[in-house]
Amino acid sequence: MTDPYSVLGLPPNASDEDVKKAYKRLAKKYHPDVAGNSEEAQRKMQEINAAYDAIINHKESFSSGYGYQNSYNTNYESEEPIELRAAVAYINARRYMEALNTLRSISPEKRSGRWYYLSAYAKAHTGDTVGAMNDINVAISKEPGNITYLAFRDRLTGRRTQYEDYSRSFGNISTGFFPCCFPFFPCCCII
Amino acid sequence: MFGYVLANGSSLSKEEKAIYKAHYCGLCRALREKYGNQAMMALSYDMVFLEMLLADLSDDEETRGSERCIPHPVKEHEYIITPSTYYAADMQMLLGYYSLLDHLNDDGKGKDKEAKARKLLPSLEEKYPRQSAALKENLAILGENEKKNLRDPEAMSLIFGNILGEIFVVDDTSFFRDDLRTLGCGLGRFIYLIDAWCDREKDRKKGSYNPLDENISRETMKAMLLDAASTASDAAERLPLDQHVFILRNILYSGIWSKFEDRKNTNDDRSV
Repeated sequence: MTDPYSVLGLPPNASDEDVKKAYKRLAKKYHPDVAGNSEEAQRKMQEINAAYDAIINHKESFSSGYGYQNSYNTNYESEEPIELRAAVAYINARRYMEALNTLRSISPEKRSGRWYYLSAYAKAHTGDTVGAMNDINVAISKEPGNITYLAFRDRLTGRRTQYEDYSRSFGNISTGFFPCCFPFFPCCCII
Repeated sequence: MFGYVLANGSSLSKEEKAIYKAHYCGLCRALREKYGNQAMMALSYDMVFLEMLLADLSDDEETRGSERCIPHPVKEHEYIITPSTYYAADMQMLLGYYSLLDHLNDDGKGKDKEAKARKLLPSLEEKYPRQSAALKENLAILGENEKKNLRDPEAMSLIFGNILGEIFVVDDTSFFRDDLRTLGCGLGRFIYLIDAWCDREKDRKKGSYNPLDENISRETMKAMLLDAASTASDAAERLPLDQHVFILRNILYSGIWSKFEDRKNTNDDRSV
């Protein structure tokens, strides 16, 4: 793939904020309402999306996610149950709910460390981080040395530390700041 | 709906407050315009957050104006309406209907209102089949679990989170659908949990269902809330937000805790 920053017209040291702004500007330019439904515009849009994914999600998302296709298809394909392969395909297509349904169809005694990892990954991408944490812990207990699993758990726990750190910068919450002007009306007295 | 997703006013600038308020008034106006004056009762900060999020994400064109309204007839105030305002208004009505239904089933109150709002349902369901189906299915599961008196706040909040997850996804083919769904789900979990926390005394007195254990500590509660909030913020940080990012972050990292920090909900905490 070409350098994602250059796709967005940015130098490689651009900040995430710049990336987001550039993404929006270009997405607008190639939006079907503006550019029409041309193939060229569609292709361009895909490039921009891929560049955004590569930069923002590589840095901020679960680190293992985007190396999926390679590692899975080469290492595991032959020995893997068909349901597990189907789940991987769903995950790669970002259809996490379907991935989870497919995974559930594998009976509990056949669930490997990888099963739990995939389940954790899909759950985290639908907002079920509690379920993801439980599953990744099982995955790690089954394969204690697996670096991918450990990195994924770090990512899950890091999220909370990051949140708490950033939260502190807002200072205390002044309670009762949004008093209601009418007892029965929704209130907009925020000033 | 619940109104937990609001800003912490003390760390917003004067300009940011004015923008926030104008979006609030915009949503109120859209509700009145589309559904009549009574619809205003359904208005909540939660949907203001959704509107500002979606408007920022899609760089919506803003329509600005000022008006005097029924709740505030004296002072003219500004409003901002975007295409996302109408989506948020529709979602507010959809959620509002089920909250009326809930009231009716629980306390037998609000029969007229429920009947009136029910008339809107077919058109909303037709327009938003995915969102309505998620709402209906998951509310049914919540109801069944309540009947069984299931005391599992994580499981229960996830079911509610799934509802909000679908509501946050306007277009299920959009590039940002996963992050929007995760964000909605995290917030939904947070809302469900904090609502259970704030209502626990009341529910105990009334003998109503509450998912929380009677002896739950504030620490345990905070850990659950923190997980939900950080799920939401983590997804939000991956979205290309720029225009309202300060206000949205203020809400996600600070404002949503207002009612948890509220003295009213902490000092009566006998169990800690």
